[in-house]
Amino acid sequence: MANEKSVASSGGSMTFTLETAHEHVSDVIKAIPESLTAFRCPLCGKSFVGYGELERHYALEHPEDVVPVIIVLQLNGKACEVLIEPHWTLQRTLQFRLGLTGAKHMCGKGVCGSCTVIADGRCILACQTLAVELEGVEIQTVEGIAADPKWKTLIDSYCRWDAMQCGYCTTGFLVTAKALLDRNPNPTEEECKEALAGNICICGTYPRHATAIMEAALKMSQPPEPPAAQGFGGFGGPGGFGGPGGPGGPGRRPPGQPS
Amino acid sequence: MADLVGVNGQREDFRVVGKPNLPGKLSYALATGIAKFGADYVLPDMLHAKFLRSPYPNCKIKSIDVSKAWKIPGVVDILTWEDPDLVKLGSGGFGGPPTLWIDNIAEQENAELGVIVTAENEDICEKAFKAMDIEWEILPFLVDVRTAYANNDDYPVIQQKSAAPSMFAAAPSKPKQGNVSYADTVQGDVDAVFAETDADHIIEYEVDLPTFASHIPNVVGSIAWLEDSVYQGEGKNLHIEGAVQRRDSVGRMHGFSAEKTIQEGLFQGGKYCDWGMRKSQEITPLLAKRTGRPVRCVDTREETFGFLMNERFIHMKIAFTDEGLITAIDDFSVADGGTSDNSSFGTANDQGYGPYVTTKCLNIRQHMEIVDSNRGKMYLSGQHCPFNWDSLTVGLYIIAEKLGKDPIDIAKLNLHGPSSQEDTEEVLSFETCIEYGKKMMNWDWHPSGTRTLPDGRKHGAAFRYQICPRHAFSGYDCKLELRSGVVHLPTQGPCTGIYAVECNAMVVAEELGLEYEDIQIDFDYREKFTPVGGGSDGSTASSWAMKECANILKAKILEAAIDQIKNPPAPSMFGGFGGFGGPPQADPFEGVESADELDLVDGMVCLKSDHTKGKRLGQAVSANIFATYSGRPPAAIWSVGMGKMLDTMNTAYCEVAVDEETGEVEILRFGVVADPGKVLRPTSLESQLDQVMYFSQGCQLLEEYVFDDRSGLFLNNNMIDYKKPGMMDVPPVEHGLMETRSGNAAYGASGISHSMANTHLVIIAIHNAIGVWVQPPATPDKILRALGKG
Repeated sequence: MANEKSVASSGGSMTFTLETAHEHVSDVIKAIPESLTAFRCPLCGKSFVGYGELERHYALEHPEDVVPVIIVLQLNGKACEVLIEPHWTLQRTLQFRLGLTGAKHMCGKGVCGSCTVIADGRCILACQTLAVELEGVEIQTVEGIAADPKWKTLIDSYCRWDAMQCGYCTTGFLVTAKALLDRNPNPTEEECKEALAGNICICGTYPRHATAIMEAALKMSQPPEPPAAQGFGGFGGPGGFGGPGGPGGPGRRPPGQPS
Repeated sequence: MADLVGVNGQREDFRVVGKPNLPGKLSYALATGIAKFGADYVLPDMLHAKFLRSPYPNCKIKSIDVSKAWKIPGVVDILTWEDPDLVKLGSGGFGGPPTLWIDNIAEQENAELGVIVTAENEDICEKAFKAMDIEWEILPFLVDVRTAYANNDDYPVIQQKSAAPSMFAAAPSKPKQGNVSYADTVQGDVDAVFAETDADHIIEYEVDLPTFASHIPNVVGSIAWLEDSVYQGEGKNLHIEGAVQRRDSVGRMHGFSAEKTIQEGLFQGGKYCDWGMRKSQEITPLLAKRTGRPVRCVDTREETFGFLMNERFIHMKIAFTDEGLITAIDDFSVADGGTSDNSSFGTANDQGYGPYVTTKCLNIRQHMEIVDSNRGKMYLSGQHCPFNWDSLTVGLYIIAEKLGKDPIDIAKLNLHGPSSQEDTEEVLSFETCIEYGKKMMNWDWHPSGTRTLPDGRKHGAAFRYQICPRHAFSGYDCKLELRSGVVHLPTQGPCTGIYAVECNAMVVAEELGLEYEDIQIDFDYREKFTPVGGGSDGSTASSWAMKECANILKAKILEAAIDQIKNPPAPSMFGGFGGFGGPPQADPFEGVESADELDLVDGMVCLKSDHTKGKRLGQAVSANIFATYSGRPPAAIWSVGMGKMLDTMNTAYCEVAVDEETGEVEILRFGVVADPGKVLRPTSLESQLDQVMYFSQGCQLLEEYVFDDRSGLFLNNNMIDYKKPGMMDVPPVEHGLMETRSGNAAYGASGISHSMANTHLVIIAIHNAIGVWVQPPATPDKILRALGKG
């Protein structure tokens, strides 16, 4: 069952920045339980404290139906037990059992790439893959990528280049882009396009993806910059007394330095 | 530049507005998977609901027995259309008889009808439908509009419901007959021109506008639950997600006031002007009430494949002089009217949008015969509206071909001036776009079939113009707050992908001497302000109002600064201003008496006479300050003249290569030169231009609704068989953004909504390449047939 953090709406008055988004997805991943504590019958909703009881319940109440199975997914670096019916796809499992909604349901037929996740280093379509097939496979979702500080640069490039409009398909593109950079840290525009050929964006953001990926690749290939000095009035740095975000209000940034 | 009203409308120095690569305020949520769309919500103990869907294109449930379905484990609730709870949801009807919210009738395949099942999961819902004994009355259907139209006298009447009259549609010239109703818009005397000798030339041609799927990216639906909240008072509150922007109306429908209807989500996916609500977005509150549990109801992809555009078959007749000046336009069209609740934007209402009246021609007749069908429903509008831009564009091209002239010259000759159809002055925006566009495209016109590329393929080019209409019909209630030194912009959002909130934040930052990042946008569904308005930079009407609000806030800030100078706050425990532990600094405001002596520049309240002397905003003003403004910019020319007056315009270009051996078409490049008046947010504006060009590519080369004539079933309502352009399909789109400042909104901006998508730009370029017409989608087999090779 989805955890509280994932159920909580992302709306309200939350502020979304690279940092808050990173923290949020990290919390979502941390909150996913590693082992099952309740065993709910998907057919009638009754809950049991042990799997054996659920099996007995099936034998008595639903003898014609297939008993749900427990599988262990290696998800975003963490082993997670889930109870699912054997015909469940990974996309359904991620959303309805683990509270991860980054792999989107769009086409349901393996055409659009919106549900893309990485399995043992390879992009797969979560809407076309049964979850039971993935035991022992290292799965990485967009949440896992976003929680890894290494990929902040890619996410930032995506946001600054508006490589999204409505944003529904964006996570599928981003996962595919990450998989591309894993195997090819300096892709050309043509290589980006080829890698993303299986992702459909109805809003038509296509040209922006290669730009964002190549910019991120360039930045990631360079040594990290030393922390930049804050603008005047910034006594104590970000969040400090009088600095940007502090009680004194907005501080100035040096010309040309992005926020 | 137009005579722009409003504070700083004539501003010349822009620090923030027009700046590229500023991240959207919700972009990080979208990119990381945090963003939740309606279908994403999952709650503990949640139930799932599904509608029975029609297996036939036109049918009625004669009788139904759901008793076996009730026995299936996991079925929690079954509602049929006669249940009082559903009957109560019906409406009084707009000018017509009361309508049921759902009944036992379906006028298209896959339409919701008759029964709603709520169960532990969706699989059980489907199982329950299969267990029901349903006696269907299968009725005659109509999916081939042209054949049915030709046989209207003999064709059975297919519409089972009485359609509500549209408040917008053109007046019918005669009563409905059979499946066909009528709409006419007439100006001048077309017949007289054709009968007499005013015309040196008369041409007639066909333009087929294809059906186009709305294909909203996210699967549509909602989840609702009832909850207690001390903040909303006694009694249960309705929490609904997935009905963004319609929270109030859905709440009211189920007896909840706006105060007791809660929504937090901001993300509603791409709309493309399809603002119609699906039943799955409206029903969950009732189901949650009945079951006492959260209920989720989400359509499948196949069920979310509505129209964005009804098909239309236009026969055009145009008279023109030897110079190419059009003297009469006669547009006779047969339009798919869809099901009984189809939007009139797809048919009669589209006539009022007036592309023809952008010409000097005073004799114009549009006669539309609208055929009811069982093909589907257009929910509201689409980015291709108005449709008859394309019939005019084709006409200008044919005139050019006939006279051996450049179609751009024919368009220039025919376009009227800024103030009326009789005005012969040039339109600055049009001229600016054309001048830039010709250079950008290396425009070198050639007659059809006369240019061969080095690889043997035929080269073709096409051009079109359009206006940049605006959305300034409604007013805006703006609010800004300075709190703890930070400027807050409260808004209900939502996020539709057009970055409209961001445009407003940029304008506020511009006016307050701040940076974009300094404006804190507080998304809250209860807020009044929503930056509606057509597409990226189409938020200019709302940002005009927000500009006024920002200047009210600015005046209040400077007054408060004076107040603080005169009544300084008590020193804090950290000592005097100027730093913790450091020596006291000179007061930059010493001797300042009036707010007129101050300004707000670069995040500082400073001396107007010396911007280097001042204090940061948060230090200069510690008070909380609100500013509000309700209003709108002066009415847009578009809304006044509907094409008879012209200000901001745009042009689009296309070059193709056609292989006459294979029939394959390659779009070599698209070009778009648009004048949104003033560019507010260039990154998203360019992206939106790309989008509409890809929409155009899709409907002209790839996308096609396919029905089985024998069963009336829609055969390709899925993303495998209905082909949308992908990464490897799309051509380069070159942009030119002009800034004539001739719009009516913020800084003379106007936006670009409804202004670029088209159905025949590529089709014209194909004709220019090979000299034969192919109606969209121009697939290789059609091209080969047109060339006599099929």
